[in-house]
Amino acid sequence: MSDTILVQPRAEFMRGVSMRDAGTLIGLVVILAVFGALVPGFFAERNLINILQQSSINACLALGMTLVIISGGIDLSVGPTAALSAVISASMMVAGVPFPLAIAAGFAIGLACGLVNGLLVAFVGLQPFIVTLGTLSTYRALALIYTGGNPVLGLPAGFRAVFNGSLFGLPLAVIIVAFVAVVAWVVLKKTPFGEYLLAVGGNEEAAYIAGVPIARTKIAAYMISGLLAALAAQILIGRLGAAEPILGNLWELDAIAAAAIGGASLMGGKGSVVGTILGAVILGAMRNGLTLMNVQSFYQLLATGLIILAAMLIDRVTRGRG
Amino acid sequence: MSPRLQFQGISKLFPAVRALNDVSFSISAGEIHGLLGENGAGKSTLLRILSGVYRPTAGSILIDGKPVTLANPVAARAAGVAMIHQELQEVPRLSVAQNMFLGQPLTRGGIFVARREQERRAAEALAAIDPSIDPAAPLGTLKVAQRQIVEIARALLDRARIVAMDEPTSSLTPSEFERLAQVITGLARDGVAVVYVSHKLDEVFGICRRATIMRDGVVIDSVDLKGLSEKAVVAMMVGRELAQERHTSHASNEVMLSARGLSSTTKVRDVSFELHRGEVLGIAGLVGSGRTELLRLLAGADRATAGTIAIDGKATRFSSPRDAIAAGIGLVPEERKREGIVPLRSITSNMALASMGVFAPRGVIDHARLKRVAIDKMGRVNLRPFLLDRPIRLFSGGNQQKAIIGRWLAAGTRILLFDEPTRGIDVGAKAEIYHLIEELAREGHGVIVVSSELPEVIRLADRVLVMRDGSIAAELHRDDISEQAIAAHAIPQTQDSR
Repeated sequence: MSDTILVQPRAEFMRGVSMRDAGTLIGLVVILAVFGALVPGFFAERNLINILQQSSINACLALGMTLVIISGGIDLSVGPTAALSAVISASMMVAGVPFPLAIAAGFAIGLACGLVNGLLVAFVGLQPFIVTLGTLSTYRALALIYTGGNPVLGLPAGFRAVFNGSLFGLPLAVIIVAFVAVVAWVVLKKTPFGEYLLAVGGNEEAAYIAGVPIARTKIAAYMISGLLAALAAQILIGRLGAAEPILGNLWELDAIAAAAIGGASLMGGKGSVVGTILGAVILGAMRNGLTLMNVQSFYQLLATGLIILAAMLIDRVTRGRG
Repeated sequence: MSPRLQFQGISKLFPAVRALNDVSFSISAGEIHGLLGENGAGKSTLLRILSGVYRPTAGSILIDGKPVTLANPVAARAAGVAMIHQELQEVPRLSVAQNMFLGQPLTRGGIFVARREQERRAAEALAAIDPSIDPAAPLGTLKVAQRQIVEIARALLDRARIVAMDEPTSSLTPSEFERLAQVITGLARDGVAVVYVSHKLDEVFGICRRATIMRDGVVIDSVDLKGLSEKAVVAMMVGRELAQERHTSHASNEVMLSARGLSSTTKVRDVSFELHRGEVLGIAGLVGSGRTELLRLLAGADRATAGTIAIDGKATRFSSPRDAIAAGIGLVPEERKREGIVPLRSITSNMALASMGVFAPRGVIDHARLKRVAIDKMGRVNLRPFLLDRPIRLFSGGNQQKAIIGRWLAAGTRILLFDEPTRGIDVGAKAEIYHLIEELAREGHGVIVVSSELPEVIRLADRVLVMRDGSIAAELHRDDISEQAIAAHAIPQTQDSR
């Protein structure tokens, strides 16, 4: 077998695939440079760590969202999933259940929420947008009903210490999400499940004829999304020390935005773990910078909107016509 | 008199390729002119220039002797050019009339759509060619052949002077083709110049007097078809003679697959047959006779309501293609874009899709091994170039088809089901697919080939089942296989032959 055959195409592959990620990276560098020039102390180590920490929750959700989007779906219910998982887990801790057990229960709630989404999409054949729009309201309502609308207060210090701790000078939350990102990257690039996700989202009918387990693949994607929403919830309540039933409001939009900026296509079949992480950091850095500049939150919202539109336009222009 | 349509030195450059180079030929009013060439010869690019989708890099188009600028599709329509697309572009839920006036509806006072008036005008245009079509019916309820007639009627409404047809018959039955041919001939009699693109040479010979042959973006020749053989035309298209090999049977007595009393809600009714090791079994029949549906049952894509399938004598039950694949059966579907390929994924991923588990014994894909197997199978099916990571959508139709075959070889499939194996594939690759199918049989695979092209069935099959209305109407053995015999069994007896 001659290796010379392989060298050329592999080079082309690297160019082809990471081009999009490189574009996202350039976008991030530009934004960092602009804020670096405008905001004194933006590049201070402390602030950079802050940006990572502030981006970590959205990055965590966006990773799950990326997998769902690649499979041709969407998960609008991540915020309420997180809220439901948070209040149940928190009230168990307050009731004296050892916190590792309570965390596990929170994860189980996240998986269950994802399972319901996945079953409705894969077996009942409902449209993902509508299914998760329905569960968005349902899960939120369950969280509110369960708590009577009140926050769960007084989380144990031991639990809070875990998520507020740091390792090698980095907040543990950042390290956890970085680890999740590596796992997601391996799953997408190196496992049959990753190939199946890309195939199901890229052409479901063809994937079916080729023997891809369509239902299992879709359900797994929603369950991972639910699990990562639960993880994001743990990080947040660890930081705040309380679990509110209204937490995670509009999280789904930030997660979708990060995935889209990172190159995921809402048509399915396309998306990148690296891109999504960069997308989440772009959004986080922008908010951080604007806050340091004392820009009103109205304008922060405007900037977020413009960034998303700009990313999509650049995408469209550089990709050329279909 | 100047010709109706004249191409003068048309060139089209794309960033990386010269798609057309100095293309010149002309068509007179009332002429049906064939445009022939392999995929990639430049026919589609030329049609897109004619219909205003692309602008030529150089050269000009003359209509009735006057140079015209076809800056966009609307301008092309205004200039009298009508395009009948290969994949019909229409809105199935809207009525026939609404589709015919799509984009430029008749209005009352510029605000309200004059629906009655549209239907009246549509009915007028349809009356000339097929009065049986109801202008108020939703387009989606019509058959493909009728929809094509609607597109032609729309061209009549536009008072088109030039009608370009891209593969109009790719999904028509012989009798539907006859009907379409009459309509086209009628158009020509009224002075319309027709540009007719088709891969089916017998059709082109049947209705065109002259044809222009293209290869690699240049015109090879514009010829009078009378007195030319199909073989000579093919040689001009591909630039070499294609060897027509003799068929030899490799069928053994060993039964690989046996179906008993198979029925489905999708049209198949009480079908029983056996497939032998090394055999190529042809399935002929009209479009809609249940051939595709039968293959989908065998491939596990649809479920049977009755009957059994036994593989190597063992009864099996398929609830999904996964089960059929595990039993050694793979389907090479008719609609490659819809059911075959995952367009954005690499050729390697596409080839490995049915056997992913094999490449990941410990959960993580062994990419080195996957690439070795991909290269091996690409060599086996003669798929070039070896650009392993290139998205499959950038490969030609023939190469995509080879990749799907490679997919089943990689999965160790023993029984291959081909549905219209050479649809949308150019002449050169077609011969390679035939050769490959024969090779597969020689190596002991069982092969079933469904095809609407009788010469293809006759060329490949050791035995032919003719389907009619969901059941097997006849079984023909090697010496009895002929176009006449197949046609006689395929056409329902009650229908009078036109």
